[in-house]
Amino acid sequence: MVRILVACAVGAALAVVATLTVTTVATTSATSVEPVNETLYNYGDR
Amino acid sequence: MPATDPARPSPRQRRAAFSCFLHRWGPAGIGLAAGAAVLGPALGPGYVLRYDMVFVPNAPLSPAALGWGDGFPRAVPSDAVAALLGMVLPGDVVQTLLLLTVFVLGAAGAARLVPGPGLAARSAAALAYVWNPFLAERLLLGQWALLLGYAGLPWVVAAAARYRGPRDLPRVGAALVPAAIGGFSSAVLSALVALPIALLRPWRRAIAASAAVLGCLAVAALPWLVPALASAATTDPAAVDVFAVRADTPLGTVASLLSLGGIWNARAVPPGFAEPVGAVGRLVLSLVALTGWGWLLRRGPQPGFQAGLTAAAAAGLLVALAGTVEAGRGVLRALIDLWPGFGPLRDGHLYLAPLALLQAVGLAGAVQWWGQSGGRGTARGSRAATRLLAGCALLAPVVLLPGLAWGAWGTLRPVDYPHEWVTVQRLVNEDPHEGALLSLPWSAYRGFPTGKDAATVVLDPAIKMVDRPVVWNDALRVRDGEQLRVVAGEDPRAQRIAPLMGDDGLPRDTPDLAQRLAAEGVRYVLVDRTNVPEGSSLGFAHTGFTAVHDGPLLLLLKVTD
Repeated sequence: MVRILVACAVGAALAVVATLTVTTVATTSATSVEPVNETLYNYGDR
Repeated sequence: MPATDPARPSPRQRRAAFSCFLHRWGPAGIGLAAGAAVLGPALGPGYVLRYDMVFVPNAPLSPAALGWGDGFPRAVPSDAVAALLGMVLPGDVVQTLLLLTVFVLGAAGAARLVPGPGLAARSAAALAYVWNPFLAERLLLGQWALLLGYAGLPWVVAAAARYRGPRDLPRVGAALVPAAIGGFSSAVLSALVALPIALLRPWRRAIAASAAVLGCLAVAALPWLVPALASAATTDPAAVDVFAVRADTPLGTVASLLSLGGIWNARAVPPGFAEPVGAVGRLVLSLVALTGWGWLLRRGPQPGFQAGLTAAAAAGLLVALAGTVEAGRGVLRALIDLWPGFGPLRDGHLYLAPLALLQAVGLAGAVQWWGQSGGRGTARGSRAATRLLAGCALLAPVVLLPGLAWGAWGTLRPVDYPHEWVTVQRLVNEDPHEGALLSLPWSAYRGFPTGKDAATVVLDPAIKMVDRPVVWNDALRVRDGEQLRVVAGEDPRAQRIAPLMGDDGLPRDTPDLAQRLAAEGVRYVLVDRTNVPEGSSLGFAHTGFTAVHDGPLLLLLKVTD
């Protein structure tokens, strides 16, 4: 019984995390942009 | 009653054959599916350009690709292999195949390291090894050659662990092929895992195995090692501070590293990576994997490489952590100052690769542990719970890192080179006269247009396009808050030419510019107009230059003086 409860809890937690992360990724990827028309391009930003 | 055909397999035999097929090819299939899901739009026609990942059409087998350029041979022999493959296949197809190889090879190799039976555990290891923050961040930094070595790492582990005598040398050599292609960083990674595995056994066998592994590593490293020893290139110790690991989640640097993240470049993390929920989930997954590894070591089926891989992962984590404290950075700087051969230590995140492999196998161990701890029961509910949790472990890497999917949510997308690039390439490569090409603006990285008001940052493609030495600014500029840090370049000729350049990356308009460039062996000057800062004027007003190609995107000049 304990095993079943643990498995269900982990499954449910993963489903919730999946929903949250996918929603967040969809939102952030729409707002994040690559640098355009910089004076000179850097290797990256720390 | 119909007679049974003895030649026809029974349903039970068919099920057994299918199960055998799944065990053998399932992990590779998972790798292929993961590769397709990660690359997504990048699998279409065109070139995926991103930081260090530059594939070009008609890539020549240039002296630089073979290791005889002026700077440190970092892209040797990976560029040469890409050029050779490009002779029989289009360059974009070569790129797609090489990237997919990373996923298939890595997943199949990680699954092979899982001790004992169990498709679920092997599948969990396969997916965890090719869908994690380490791979995501290195892919977004464009380091495909390093990832080839990363994919070969499990095969190196297996070959080093199974080494018993000279008859096993071909297996070790074959396992090192991806690292040999990947070049410098891949070889360093392979040495980090192979040597402890060879060493940690009874001393007589340890000496023989270590000598064999070292010999194979030396042969695999020859293409870049010989030019590296012959070159006058140096490494700037300041790079330690620029490329040190950093916290890329709100959980801090140590948690980032344990979760296999922490790359120095904030632009090389997948979308949504810093969200607390996902970060906590990935940390928990890493802790579960480490627990599973512990179980494999103490109670589970014993893998023969346990001590060596543990030592390699711990050493790698230590190198990465060294960059987080001033004392550690001081030691790294002093080592690089002492001998440029310690230069690879500057990029601490690189050394998390063994930990990624350990965690992938450890996750499989956790699945086995869960299965064995309740698997003896026959209750239907218990079996269903086991399957549900195994499914969760299998899918967790994807669920917790969705930003890697579909070309990191569209970050990796193919583009076509404008025709001008091919025209300029042809003009330069058809010229039989010797002489280098100077690539301008004086900056290593370019904004390559990917659409209207969109660009991807990529290493100057001219470096890979022409069949002659290219002089380019190999100093690396990295923004750190409000500060712009510069890692000094390694090419002596570029350092001599640098004083001729202004702040806008174009030559100062001096009367003797052509003579001075000619004195440095420069025959062509290529200006990428799309990257010339607004308001800058090209400093070629004086004599000594003839326009060979003057288009809206590129200007190619021949130094006539």
